[in-house]
Amino acid sequence: MRARLLALVLGLCPAGQALAEVYQKPEAFVAEVFGTVPAPRVLWLSREVQAGAAAILGHPPPNLRQRYWSDGAKSVWILEEIGKEELITAGFVISQGHIDHVRVLAYRESRGQEVRDPSFLKQFAGAGLDKGDHLDRGIDGISGATLSVHAMERMARLALYFDRRSRD
Amino acid sequence: MPFRLRLVRTLRRWHARIGFAALIFFVLIAVTGLALNHGAALGLDSRQVHSKWLARWYDIRQEQPPQAYRTASHLLVAANGRWLLDGSAVGEKMPHPLGLVEIGDLIVVGGESSLHVYRADGALVDRLDGYVLPRVPLKAIGAGEGELVVQTPAGPFSSADVLSWRPGAPKVVAWSRPTLLAASDREAYAQRLAPGISLQRVLLDLHSGRFLGRLGPLFFDLVAIFLTILALSGAWMFLAPRLRR
Repeated sequence: MRARLLALVLGLCPAGQALAEVYQKPEAFVAEVFGTVPAPRVLWLSREVQAGAAAILGHPPPNLRQRYWSDGAKSVWILEEIGKEELITAGFVISQGHIDHVRVLAYRESRGQEVRDPSFLKQFAGAGLDKGDHLDRGIDGISGATLSVHAMERMARLALYFDRRSRD
Repeated sequence: MPFRLRLVRTLRRWHARIGFAALIFFVLIAVTGLALNHGAALGLDSRQVHSKWLARWYDIRQEQPPQAYRTASHLLVAANGRWLLDGSAVGEKMPHPLGLVEIGDLIVVGGESSLHVYRADGALVDRLDGYVLPRVPLKAIGAGEGELVVQTPAGPFSSADVLSWRPGAPKVVAWSRPTLLAASDREAYAQRLAPGISLQRVLLDLHSGRFLGRLGPLFFDLVAIFLTILALSGAWMFLAPRLRR
């Protein structure tokens, strides 16, 4: 207890242990969007797409192919990105090059769960990419959840970028 | 010699001695503290230190790989949550493998609840788990007629693209089976598959003294007391003459 208190005072360890909170299973999110789960499609990440994704993420994408679901009008992308230390899983629905809606499906950080609040997520609705592959609107931050907000923005940009590349 | 002068000389002598002795701890605490303060940016938690002696020091059980999985042109050896695919490490905290299969240009490593798909050069193509698998736990993986086949409690499922699944299996399936490793190979692979310890944990333990074991924090408490004495004696030597003036 003494050591933990000391570490807390020194700011050397997080205030709590990371807990995985799964709010919705990815397949349930996909089924909610399409009514049923369509067969998954794949976007193969060519060198060019990898470079574009790396520029958005700030690190190389983890996989060389990305699964997604589409009915032609809408596409769904389930993405994962580290907030501070743990992965955030989020589902993005893209329609005609703009975000239809976003949901945080799993959150594993000990702080910053506010990014799953609808009041925060609705800021992404209608957002698209500008010429520099940045969101064409500002997203208001959340005090104490800065890194998670940034991770959500990166994933939103990546979902829009992947959607555009899947239509090329 | 006046008492005050003797006191100042003694204090100055001991201040210098303690200061010199504490040099290594000053540097250790400052460097590790600086690194830990920027741990997230430096990715300390995701960086692993692999060393047999460090694993022994931390009393982490080290296993030797008893077996390997082979295809016509690829080899997988696993131990301590790490995989060597064709001699290259391909990740940390990996599950125990069930088998290794080649499907066209892809290499698939199966675990109980996941499939890892690699390119021939070892680059990760995809990781399938949970909802993208037909059923879990997987019992075995194999190949037949160019398709990947997984055996599950609900029967076999096949996939030509390692993405979408159909129930059933081709008539002939070559299930991946492990082959035993020679004792000399086991030792050689054990060296390369030493358990990983996060760099953040090592630095935190160095910073707090826990790296030295149960008595380490007490020893560092002692160092902290000496550093406090050092700071107070230094302050006193600096301020006393000025206050007297």
